[in-house]
Amino acid sequence: MAIKTRNFNEARQQASTNVELIWWVFMRVSGVLLVFLVLGHIYMNNILISNTSIDYDYVASRFSQPLIKVYDLVMLALAMLHGTNGLRYVIEDYVHHDGWRNFIKYALYFVVAVLIATGTMLLFSFPFEKVGG
Amino acid sequence: MYRGREGQWAFFLHRITGVAILLYLLVHVGELTAAMFGAKYSNAILGFFHQPLFQLGLLAVIGAVLYHALNGLRILIMDFTSWGTRVQDKLWYGVLALFALFYIPTIIKILPEIFGGGGH
Ligand code: HEM
Ligand code: HEM
Repeated sequence: MAIKTRNFNEARQQASTNVELIWWVFMRVSGVLLVFLVLGHIYMNNILISNTSIDYDYVASRFSQPLIKVYDLVMLALAMLHGTNGLRYVIEDYVHHDGWRNFIKYALYFVVAVLIATGTMLLFSFPFEKVGG
Repeated sequence: MYRGREGQWAFFLHRITGVAILLYLLVHVGELTAAMFGAKYSNAILGFFHQPLFQLGLLAVIGAVLYHALNGLRILIMDFTSWGTRVQDKLWYGVLALFALFYIPTIIKILPEIFGGGGH
């Protein structure tokens, strides 16, 4: 079961398994990092430019920069894991039928695994220099 | 967290925004993946999402991220300080104030672009 508390010592006592406690910590660590990563990402793609101008050339030029590759890869992994584990908490809270709960959870894990894989392939399918020049 | 009215609203909004951001992220990565198959497909999909309805959705996603991030920091303060839980309702008003502070200028910047201002 998901841990419901607002304090690390209580979380340690409530944790049904060690894995559950690790997820509790992971949600907090990844959360702090995502504040900078995702807000920085939104700033770069919505405030510095107009998001209505995003096209293939823009995406390709971004993915071709080594720094952006690393940035996006970390953001991809953390956001996917944080969001998926978060949705697992929600599913476990609301779906009480064992069969349905497991079905929904594993369907979610499958979709996320595929998207982490394709998202990573996408990153590395671009060369390590600026394109279009 | 379940104590008092503010806590419940804060929790509920955190939940809704979290799930919404994840759903957006899944679509987002899917949409970008088209870039692997070349400019033609990529531009078709990116262009499709440049319709005003989706652009408004994007603005909502930005709001969701902003709230979720700020409230996430509030949760961390409650978890890791001895005083956080005592002032959780005040912290929540702080979250709302910071949210307005960042979100209103964002809306002012982006809304005109959606309806023909900047962009293309
Ligand atoms: C921007 C920085 C972010 C911060 C500071 C943050 C922080 C948090 C925290 C502290 C929790 C509570 C975890 C728990 O109860 O153990 C949480 C839950 C959650 N987060 Fe985030 N998060 C962030 C970004 C994201 C992103 C990008 C997504 C989606 C991809 C996301 C989706 C979720 C979901 C679905 C939950 C579960 C909500 C619930 O249990 O009610 N979060 N977040
Ligand atoms: C709301 C406006 C957003 C816009 C206009 C936008 C735009 C973009 C663009 C142009 C890229 C290509 C590479 C780059 O520029 O870094 C990208 C990649 C990415 N975005 Fe966003 N983004 C937005 C929101 C988000 C949010 C909220 C998240 C996280 C939950 C996110 C997660 C990602 C990830 C993980 C990648 C890398 C994908 C991959 O490696 O396959 N984006 N985004």
